[in-house]
Amino acid sequence: MAQSAAFKRNLAGWAYVAPLVVVLIPFFVLPLIAVVAASFFETDGFGGLFPAFNLDNYTEILTSGLTFNLYYETIKFTVLTWFFSLLIGFFVAYFLVFHVRNQLLALGLFLLCTVPFWTSNIIRMISWIPLLGKEGLVNEALLKLGLIDQPLEFLLFSSFAVVVAYVHQLTIFMIVPIFNAMGRIDKRVVEAALDAGASRFDIMRLIIVPLSKSGIALGSIFVISIVMGDFFVVKVMSGGGSASVVGAFYENISVLQYPTAAASAVLLTIILVITVGLIIRFVDIRKEITR
Amino acid sequence: MNLGKGHIEIAGVAKSYDGFTYAVHGVNLKIPDGAYCCILGPSGCGKTTILRMVAGHEDPTVGEILIGGENVVGLPPVERRTAMMFQSYALFPHLTVRDNIAFALRVRGLSKTERYAKTDAMIEKVRMTEFSDRLPAQLSGGQQQRVALARAAITEPRVLLLDEPLSALDEHLRIRMRAELRRMQRELGITFVHVTHTQLEAIALADMVVVMENGKIKQSGPAREIYAAPKDRYVAEFLGGQNVLSGKVGKINGTRAMIASPEIAGIQIPMHAGARLEAGQAIDIAVRRDDVELFREDTALSDQDMASVPATILGIEYQGNFVKVMLDAAGEAEFVAYVPERRFFENPFKVGDSVLAAWLIDRAHLLA
Amino acid sequence: MSLARVSDVVATSVSARRSRAIAPTSGRRPWTFYVLAILFTLYLLALYGPMACIYILSLQDLRGGLVFPIKGLSLHWFVDLFTQVRTGDVQGSFERSFKLALVVTVLTVVVSFLAGLGFRKRFAGDTVVFYMMIGSLVAPGLVLGIGVGLIFNAVGIDASLFTSALGAQLSWTLPFGVLVMFAVMSRFDHAWEEAARDLGASPWQTIRLVVIPVLAPGIVAVALFGFTLSYDEFARTLQTAGSLNTLPLEIWSMTLNITSPALYALGTVTTIVSFLVIGASLGTIAFMQKRREARAPGQQGGAA
Repeated sequence: MAQSAAFKRNLAGWAYVAPLVVVLIPFFVLPLIAVVAASFFETDGFGGLFPAFNLDNYTEILTSGLTFNLYYETIKFTVLTWFFSLLIGFFVAYFLVFHVRNQLLALGLFLLCTVPFWTSNIIRMISWIPLLGKEGLVNEALLKLGLIDQPLEFLLFSSFAVVVAYVHQLTIFMIVPIFNAMGRIDKRVVEAALDAGASRFDIMRLIIVPLSKSGIALGSIFVISIVMGDFFVVKVMSGGGSASVVGAFYENISVLQYPTAAASAVLLTIILVITVGLIIRFVDIRKEITR
Repeated sequence: MNLGKGHIEIAGVAKSYDGFTYAVHGVNLKIPDGAYCCILGPSGCGKTTILRMVAGHEDPTVGEILIGGENVVGLPPVERRTAMMFQSYALFPHLTVRDNIAFALRVRGLSKTERYAKTDAMIEKVRMTEFSDRLPAQLSGGQQQRVALARAAITEPRVLLLDEPLSALDEHLRIRMRAELRRMQRELGITFVHVTHTQLEAIALADMVVVMENGKIKQSGPAREIYAAPKDRYVAEFLGGQNVLSGKVGKINGTRAMIASPEIAGIQIPMHAGARLEAGQAIDIAVRRDDVELFREDTALSDQDMASVPATILGIEYQGNFVKVMLDAAGEAEFVAYVPERRFFENPFKVGDSVLAAWLIDRAHLLA
Repeated sequence: MSLARVSDVVATSVSARRSRAIAPTSGRRPWTFYVLAILFTLYLLALYGPMACIYILSLQDLRGGLVFPIKGLSLHWFVDLFTQVRTGDVQGSFERSFKLALVVTVLTVVVSFLAGLGFRKRFAGDTVVFYMMIGSLVAPGLVLGIGVGLIFNAVGIDASLFTSALGAQLSWTLPFGVLVMFAVMSRFDHAWEEAARDLGASPWQTIRLVVIPVLAPGIVAVALFGFTLSYDEFARTLQTAGSLNTLPLEIWSMTLNITSPALYALGTVTTIVSFLVIGASLGTIAFMQKRREARAPGQQGGAA
């Protein structure tokens, strides 16, 4: 009887998630397998793929100095974006949760932060052009103030611009989960710590940060996976000065080098899986989310 | 068999969630039709599990549950004609008081006019007419409870099951709503099964109290019997109002026995007809706290019918109509005397005083 | 009643005194408040400032360029956007994006809602499904897009908007939808369902009369996610859309070719659409809450 109850429960569970699985298998699992398979295939150079078990694609990308450079650039952007979005996101959430007295106002300000998330990322990215360009507002202002006598070149179409665009787009992915996690912190815990003589810094280090861990982890997963999987921002905002792993992947695809592209994608996915896996080991996000 | 429609019989019921440990085990219980029954026990003792099995929200792993003589295991709640009042009420937050109460009629397909006519009569009964358009969030705890009661009662159940119905209320309201529950039960004339962990609530309300521990029933019976004549140390201590003393039987002398163990050596206990004791047997006795009288230690007790133990006063709490005096006596962790207020203040004791705690021998009660 | 009011007053004053140190509810604010308030203001400025710039620059006249100062004031570039052939098929791509987003929204709401219900109880293999979903969320979109292309190629179906692109977008919107559903359902009391069952509701009646109405605001939020994530989706659609462009793909090709404020005009138009959708969603949620309260007049009730 207990067994049949468990069976019924499992059946009901699967019935509910069946539509999700029906979408994810052909549009996530199989494509991933296809890419992995393609990474071992041979090509005629005109888009034709021939089943094979060929490790040449991997040796090619692993021995190429270009690969190292690509990964270096991508990881550099990932780390910088992660750092700045976490820094800003954490303190914005902290401000809203612990410093805004009126709860309704805090919620309103929070929503204000999220609105741009619902608008086009591409538009938000190109909107930096009139600001950061050679004749953009920032340079104009600095020139007028006499702080510089020549327009700063590094503002647009540079690594700087790439990081700015990423942080601009992705900080919201830090704010939302951290805001959620902090919102669940019982304010009396903080009061108890104050009563025990903890300083502002102690409270931050010993209470707020540990209790916001799940939010930080979730936000980090979002930011890291989006930056590592992106090529568009790097392509436009670096002005061609920087490349990215997925950018190279895209170039390879457009010249029909599917197997090389696939091998590179597999490598990237492995790195991504390891990173996300490490974060998940650190925090059980399933428990945190469904709580 | 002529069983009332709200007669409940639980026969050999056990429930296990994991197949290894039992939430309830070997439970047999008969609740007469129209009774107010309280199931009493600490949290985790299995009392809510029993309630949910009667309600049809859980199935027993083994055993039978009969309502009105018919086995209801496997039937959905509606077919059992039971209704449940949930802990913290589970009122639908998006529906007004009227629509909450009308819910059962709505799912039965009654038209709006029909169901509102019936509902309004029920709202009247629980005195919520002026609040019938409010949402649950706009009601006080007591009002929410009335709505929950009305919502359950509108299905015309033969049994109403209440899961800790008063625990969400503050002390003051709890006592008021307690009386209201009893009034509703009388008006509806159906069986109420009420789960609680508060002894006072149980004995104040119930015709029948069931005391549980670790998934098993320890004792069941009328409230007064449970309170005044607990079967064992657990029931006596859980119900409160009793001091429990342990000892070994010494000499037996007609209708009385002498205790021979070190802590309470020399005190006598009554031997009621049929009681069988042997010398050397370990026993527990219970003495009601309000049966304990305190005397100065130098008092010579002349009364042959009194038993006494020396004691030191550990604490004194004024309770209004009586004074609670906590004593260090008889090697027990807790030994308390309830002294009537006037008597206490005629000649008040202080903390640290040495006293004699005495009671009429025949008032002591032998525990299993 | 007066007793309750007194205790309320006491409670608020106690909590006010208690919480002064970290997040003062009265009295002087700590220095950190000012530092963080400045940071927050700067963040908002950086968030909205650049977008405001392109809205302003899109209103220039014929002489307008990509940077300030603003030259003239007209709707020239908006007209240009919808009439000039050289800017591509803006109107067509907009219509396609909108239709696709609507379909994605409906599917996202239904599938996420069901999955949310399913994940409330543990079942054998639930962790596999959960991590499959997380995987779909974090996987590089372009790589998945190529993979979908390869699969469709292998099966012999042509990639098109409402087949491959739809599926690829769902692999992105569904994990979001389910995560939002988790958050929404964590506030749903299981006892409501039991109460409905106790009162004789069938499983379907329970969902229709209790679960959906209670979760309605959350469901609207899922719809908002579904719509905007699809409407703005780029990486997964790039290789799966087939021969016809969606709006983000159109914008992408414009960023590579067009160097006139027409680009900004397009940005303004799509942002207006986004804001209309956000407004409609928030409006719907507010309307639902209002309607509930309107049906329940009465003053503020007692303590809940």
